[in-house]
Amino acid sequence: MKSEIILKNVNLDFPIYDVESLSIRNKISNFGKVIVNKTSINKSGSRIVKGLKDINYQMDHGDRIALLGPNGSGKTTLLKLLAGIYSPTSGDMSKTGDTSCMLDIGFGFEQDATGYENIILSNITRGLTKDDIEKILPDIAEFSGLGEFLDMPFRTYSSGMQARLAFSSAIANTPGILLIDEFFSTGDIDFSEKSKKKVLEMMDNSSILVFASHDLKLLNSICNKAICMHSGEIVFSGSTKEAITHYKSIYE
Amino acid sequence: MKFFQNNLAVKDIIFSFKNFYSWSYLSYFDLKLKYRRTFLGPWWVVLGIAISATAMCFLWSTIFNLDWKTYLTYLFSGFIIWMWISQLVIDAPDIFCGSASKYIKAYPNPPIFYVFRKCFLSFLLFLHHIPLIILVTIFVNQKINVIVMYTLPLGLFLIFINSIFFTTIVGMLSARYRDIDPLIKSLMPPMLLLTPVLWKPEMLGEYSNFIYLNPFTYFVGIVRNDLIGLEFDLNIWLGAIVITIFQLVIFFLLYSKKSKRIVFWV
Repeated sequence: MKSEIILKNVNLDFPIYDVESLSIRNKISNFGKVIVNKTSINKSGSRIVKGLKDINYQMDHGDRIALLGPNGSGKTTLLKLLAGIYSPTSGDMSKTGDTSCMLDIGFGFEQDATGYENIILSNITRGLTKDDIEKILPDIAEFSGLGEFLDMPFRTYSSGMQARLAFSSAIANTPGILLIDEFFSTGDIDFSEKSKKKVLEMMDNSSILVFASHDLKLLNSICNKAICMHSGEIVFSGSTKEAITHYKSIYE
Repeated sequence: MKFFQNNLAVKDIIFSFKNFYSWSYLSYFDLKLKYRRTFLGPWWVVLGIAISATAMCFLWSTIFNLDWKTYLTYLFSGFIIWMWISQLVIDAPDIFCGSASKYIKAYPNPPIFYVFRKCFLSFLLFLHHIPLIILVTIFVNQKINVIVMYTLPLGLFLIFINSIFFTTIVGMLSARYRDIDPLIKSLMPPMLLLTPVLWKPEMLGEYSNFIYLNPFTYFVGIVRNDLIGLEFDLNIWLGAIVITIFQLVIFFLLYSKKSKRIVFWV
């Protein structure tokens, strides 16, 4: 099946219900890269943050798309929109093809469950059955390199080990449309090399790849198209090389 | 027909049916984790309820001047169902804002998936206590009506689907308006006293019809009354069905319109 994503005049507003309270801080930090000072007031009087503004773009089968932009430019928001976690406030998005997303990969972990159990839990949440998971479990265990720690509760892990487990459990996805937010910075040199290799392999198998990263060299070697974003808008789209030039010019 | 196919509530419920395996496994695992590192495991809850219900039985049967044998089954079965229902109500406001929020923000499963997970866990917890009811029934040599075979599964089913509707509705409202949570938490303790769990409706004398104003009466009643051989009360069943339909409609309207907003609220 051919995968395809079409975005037409897509706008996405984040409503913010109580600016004064603590929860708002959580909200902003969770929404991630949204520019906070560019808020406005909507009809009903609550504050909104424009997450995405008038996005028009078409992604076809075989596209390898790089997402570029400074922090707060809407990259993660766009990825979450494509994943189906957010839906547009106005405009249309149509998507054909299965999606696997590696955005916040650490979800679905229980502190008291062991590493093995957490691999099972997070993949069951992703819709696999226990039989499916048991087939791939040895591979995941080996990839994680956590050895006998996999039999220990997750709460005993160091943050590096947690990141290893999170990444290793996420690779069980069978990619169609693959959405990836940058996370290579986690883990030691050995593991980040290994995970980079694994992701490249997954990217090769994907029908559409959307990849947000600040590693320009990596993007240049993988992607054939690029989108440059700034404060929720697509400010440039075209070949990766041109986009990188454009991206650099923002900082000059 | 087309309307129903494109409706979000219908779509997400169908998704949840198809993914029965996922959420039931997660509920089962939640249960397992709950008892990890305890010696008695699930029997702690059973023991806890047994202790408090036995204590209450002796106290209240003396106060009400009742035969403790008939009161024992009444109290045990009513109290156990009450524990299930009241816990559901108390947990409902947290469903989307609580631990599910990190899932909702990270993965595109529909929010109602997590409602199923939660409600099924409550149901599993309730099932723990069934042996207790059986034990008490045998202990006091209570006669059991054959009608229980039909009414018990139906009653449990009604409570389960109502728990799905209720948790979703209240979860959505309280995700948007944070006052719902403390409101419900302060309303529930007095509700125990207002629901015929500790006392019998006929004790109210001429006011006994007032119990029909309390929605909890119906849901405790549909499971308990036939289980302990009380007279069949059609009002109780009709009331439960009316509430179910009412909740279904509210759920349907609210969920299909606003479920996509939940991710912004939590």
